[in-house]
Amino acid sequence: MKPLTEQDYYETLDVSRSANFEDIERAYRLACDTYCEDSLAGYPVFEVGDIEVLRERIEIAYRILVDPETRRAYDQELSVQAEHTAPAPTWRASGEEPVVEEVRPTAPVLAPLDALDELEEGEGEWTGARLRRARLRQGIEIEDITKVTKVNPTYLSYIEEERFDGLPASVYVRGFVVGYAGVLGLDAKQVAASYLERCDERRGTGKRRLFARK
Amino acid sequence: MISGTSEGPPGNGVPRLIPFGGGKGGVGKTFVAANLATTLAKAGHRVVAVDGDLEGANLHTALGVPRPRNSVAEFAAEREEDVRKLLEDTPFPNLRLIAATRPNLANPQPSHALRVRFVRALRTLPADYVFIDLGAGADATVMDYFMVCDDGVVVIAPEPTSVENAYAFMRAAFYRRLRLAMVSAEVRKVIALAMDERNERGIRTPLDLLREVKSIDTEEAHRFVDVMRAFRPRIIVNDVHTAEDIRLGFSVRSVCRKYFAIDAEYLGYVNHDSAARASVRARRPLVDSDPRSDAAVYLARIARKLIAPRIEAAEAGVSA
Repeated sequence: MKPLTEQDYYETLDVSRSANFEDIERAYRLACDTYCEDSLAGYPVFEVGDIEVLRERIEIAYRILVDPETRRAYDQELSVQAEHTAPAPTWRASGEEPVVEEVRPTAPVLAPLDALDELEEGEGEWTGARLRRARLRQGIEIEDITKVTKVNPTYLSYIEEERFDGLPASVYVRGFVVGYAGVLGLDAKQVAASYLERCDERRGTGKRRLFARK
Repeated sequence: MISGTSEGPPGNGVPRLIPFGGGKGGVGKTFVAANLATTLAKAGHRVVAVDGDLEGANLHTALGVPRPRNSVAEFAAEREEDVRKLLEDTPFPNLRLIAATRPNLANPQPSHALRVRFVRALRTLPADYVFIDLGAGADATVMDYFMVCDDGVVVIAPEPTSVENAYAFMRAAFYRRLRLAMVSAEVRKVIALAMDERNERGIRTPLDLLREVKSIDTEEAHRFVDVMRAFRPRIIVNDVHTAEDIRLGFSVRSVCRKYFAIDAEYLGYVNHDSAARASVRARRPLVDSDPRSDAAVYLARIARKLIAPRIEAAEAGVSA
């Protein structure tokens, strides 16, 4: 690890040299989150002044790496530097000169994101908790789903918490769940069917219950 | 105590020691440790859960052992030498406990020498994993236990106070192991100086310190980098409510890398779940009382990652 000012753009964004477009986008969003003014992770350590410098570097790193053309040029420059180890970089961040010593591959911060994500859930019933897990895994907030589906966030929370008594008639719940699942890119039909079965059963409004009663 | 073996599942008869710290109290260290220990025990591993908090013992309660007969206190008071005699059965066949109840309040903490002996004895226990649940704070009585390996667990709650304490905790752990690894008196003096956060030489981060050390002694600088590379605390974010809370783990990891040059690992998060609270009240580990609950699913996942063979410590361009 190197001092901030000596990191190359890949290190600045914490992505590997082979990062693709999505990796870079994701890393940039995380960096913006982490190094914003009121960052929960950052405020205990940031000192006045140094976070601005870092933010500026992140911005430059992102702009160069996200554009295939500038990235190619930059890669070329890095490899030239690695060959000659002569520090003559022309990519400068606001006047300061990145001193490139040993260029080594950096393990990207976001690589374990996928490892973190395997939940081994496979098939099976869609419960409220499972819906929430699927949502959180994708970093989506309740409000994000509301923005797309226009479904009241309270209802979305009730769906996750399985507070069936607080939810309207099943035909509406089905619509909510279809919308919810759609935002997460899940098989909406299947998810809604599974969830509604559970919902109806708990509320005692399901077909099964009606048949059982007669 | 710096050279803890921490690769993969143990097979050589020596248990792998895993401490759970994090600085702040009330973030769920005991809850997390108790549940992970239970999960592994249920999966067939031999686990010993040790309560390292002589001044706030409660691991026994979390594991459903109401009145342990033995305690670390016996060892601290030098009334019992044999750590095996402190082992207590729990409701779970493969899980045993060393409680920390009934301390001598006048002098609860064992001396440093005793702590070293205690840890040495823990390594001889017939177990696959020995979990040590630490108290709050970052003083020597806590830190000695966190130093049993390079990749102890740091439990964080998504709130500023916890995050702040977690950094202080990791910083303390790093400087402590650094001081132990350094040989030259002059370098040790500089490290002691850097440990004072308001030092006059303006050494703020380990990287600043490395520069100082390099200027004194290159060999020591290499040792410094070795310590830096080996130290890989593992973060668990407990009680997350939102997706933003989950991202906190990645952010803390990023800050650790950029500001402290510490390569922390994000082990996972545990979702906020009312079932967790209920399990604490019922004095039973959640993974036992309600294994299908939301939080239990996350805990099971973390347990799998906790004992997975380590991903090769990032060749993270640490250069002396």
